Amino acid sequence: MKDSWLRRNGLILISGVVVGVAALVLTWAGNPKNMGFCIACFERDIAGALGFHSAAKVQYLRPEIVGIVLGSTIAALGFREFKGRAGSSPACRFVVGLWVMIGALVFLGCPLRMVIRLGGGDLTAVAGLLGFLAGILVGIVFLKRGFSLGRAYPVKLGEGMMIPGVMALLLALLLAAPGLLKFSEEGPGSMHAFWGISLVAGLVVGALAQRSRLCMAGGLRDGFLLRDFTLLTGFLAIWVTMTIGNLILGSYNLSAQSQPIAHSQYLWSFLGMALAGWGSILLGGCPLRQLILAGEGNGDSAIAVFGMIVGAAIAHNFGLAGNADSVVDGTYQVGGIGNAGKIAVVLGFAVLLAVSLSHLPGKEDA
Amino acid sequence: MRKSCLRCVVAFHTTAGAMAAEQLCHREDLEGRLISVPRKITSDCGIAWSAPPELRETLEARFQEAGIETAGFYELLV
Repeated sequence: MKDSWLRRNGLILISGVVVGVAALVLTWAGNPKNMGFCIACFERDIAGALGFHSAAKVQYLRPEIVGIVLGSTIAALGFREFKGRAGSSPACRFVVGLWVMIGALVFLGCPLRMVIRLGGGDLTAVAGLLGFLAGILVGIVFLKRGFSLGRAYPVKLGEGMMIPGVMALLLALLLAAPGLLKFSEEGPGSMHAFWGISLVAGLVVGALAQRSRLCMAGGLRDGFLLRDFTLLTGFLAIWVTMTIGNLILGSYNLSAQSQPIAHSQYLWSFLGMALAGWGSILLGGCPLRQLILAGEGNGDSAIAVFGMIVGAAIAHNFGLAGNADSVVDGTYQVGGIGNAGKIAVVLGFAVLLAVSLSHLPGKEDA
Repeated sequence: MRKSCLRCVVAFHTTAGAMAAEQLCHREDLEGRLISVPRKITSDCGIAWSAPPELRETLEARFQEAGIETAGFYELLV
């Protein structure tokens, strides 16, 4: 039987195009430029909305995140794929998720936003892409040597429904009790689409990503490790869609200067995304994929998501996150990270190395 | 167009399980290769072992002897 390329890759291709279009629509509707969809930034904004950090410019309860998780849950339930499971090194997943977030915020974006930035012509994101590739290759070296956080086991439905429940509660807070939340009055957190548009975009992306298994890290892992480029097709479809969409809308700016919410400290962009890439391989998926897996009942991914939210709070409470390049009094100022952020990245590599080495097959497995 | 053919696909609970299976099969000269776990098996994006269907019983026995925990054996067109 013959199997065409389009038949094998159609769903992932459609998912990538839809993510790209959703990012363009959300940007048009009010989300920050080149940040239509960013899992790291939006989880960071949620941490701010809940008062976990006090960076006044990045506080908003992003309905996109709620939508992604609930979209995944609805799709998984609809196709009878919702399975409560957990028990795969939850503490390690929390810590690795925390450092993935810190790495992403040093770069100023998760792997998804990295592609969205590239699709807007942001050449500063190339350093992040190279770092992400390098981090994934390091992760693959440990996978080949037998790295494992251990298997997950079936758990009760209530455990699997925990993060969808939390997300539904957050949405209820946003709609029914916004006074309990913090909202930015300026900066990226103040820029957002109408909540209904954000929620619907999240639901659609969440459902499609659940069906197609869209994953930025998984695509590159499969490409390098298995020479299977199916998941990578989604990654490339987002990039191409963003590029074409930005060209049509006149918002494509091929440059390494004055890019929206981006900095040109290339070395630290590279290292930040290397940290995120390595951590994503250890977790078994990028930040978007963690949300999708959490939505279909994976308690281990839910723990990783909680780790990322805490990581975002730490990044802003301790001044670890990157600052965007800016123009002050007519002078272009390079942003980036300070010494605390640099120490955090180095510490992050040490933590990931410790987790990687301590989960290789040992004598007890022989 | 790629030609699909019937294969024995072995799913694992962890990537490490798939890697161990690959090492064992290479060591024992058992035909097969690692593939991305087919979507029709699971929504997980793990790694599976794909082998000729006639090797199924051999693989079941050898993986069990070697203590490699599997999540299922499937005969699929891949």
